[in-house]
Amino acid sequence: MRARRRRRPGLAVVAAGLLAAACSPYMGRHELQWDSLDQIWRAEASQVKVRNAQSRVFDTSDRLGTLEAVVATFQDLGFQIEVLDEALGIVSGKKFTGLEKPSVGFDPSYVLYDAESLVVFSRTYRSWGPFWHRSDLVRLTVTVRARNEKQLVVRAAAQFQLRPIEAPEPYQAFFRTLEQAMFSERHALGVVTPHPQLVLPLASVR
Amino acid sequence: MRSEVDVRWLPALVLGLALVACASPPQPTPDLLAPDDAQMNLRNMQTRSFDLTDRNQALRGVIAALQDLGFIIERANEPLGLVTGARFAEPRWTDVVGITVTVRPQEGGKMLIRANAIFNNEPITDPQIYQNFFATLERSMFIGRN
Repeated sequence: MRARRRRRPGLAVVAAGLLAAACSPYMGRHELQWDSLDQIWRAEASQVKVRNAQSRVFDTSDRLGTLEAVVATFQDLGFQIEVLDEALGIVSGKKFTGLEKPSVGFDPSYVLYDAESLVVFSRTYRSWGPFWHRSDLVRLTVTVRARNEKQLVVRAAAQFQLRPIEAPEPYQAFFRTLEQAMFSERHALGVVTPHPQLVLPLASVR
Repeated sequence: MRSEVDVRWLPALVLGLALVACASPPQPTPDLLAPDDAQMNLRNMQTRSFDLTDRNQALRGVIAALQDLGFIIERANEPLGLVTGARFAEPRWTDVVGITVTVRPQEGGKMLIRANAIFNNEPITDPQIYQNFFATLERSMFIGRN
């Protein structure tokens, strides 16, 4: 009986060690993406549904003004602008959410994740990756294009934890902020016409 | 004499750890793309109004001010009035400060200039930093006029 009891702690320690190596709290909750090609065809929800959540039609033909409002919205949300092209109507940006911390106890793997560092700079740095982007990075791309002579379609696509955001709620919050930015912009310029605000179902967005 | 530790709880602990460790990845919160209160407070300290009507002149002032502060300009877009830049920050020089400045004409011959900056991954919330930036900007515009 005594001999059997002696073996059990050893087994448990080995099992715990294997567990820590194979599936630390960080590793278990985050996916490794070794190849950017993994992103392709990653969308899980219906494409139509996602597109519907991401798109809004605005009753305005002022493309430049809309792009300015998008830029103001990015600033309101704390995004840093990375790409801006008024000819193509694209604004892209990034922001960092708070770094993850273990809720209970201490996870040694977090030690390698310096809260003040930006990225893992080295290609050969051995970490849980991803090597080129931090997992707490939120990326957002907004496109503005003409739907017809009097309307514009604004579409926002965001990425969180290296996956596209498919839930509609974050986009609803984004468009609320955008509408406020458009309103304040027109107000500041002394435009007296009502601010553009029209939400159409996707079926009518072409 | 009994020196052994009771280890009956160890398998349960290992199982518990496994469950915690292999939890699902974090999901985006509904307010991920919504401004928070802190950001709305920041907006006031990030914004100044200048008595200017020429957007191009204001943009040139912004670029000169950023150069005075040691920033490398990353992008400048005249039609949308946007300038972004970045610099490494003392004392470690491995830290990065990024800044986005927008220039927007307002009613009554005013020009609204807004700057927001981040230090590594966090927004800069110290009003003094923005005051310093706008003081540099005023000087740069003054020098540019003369």
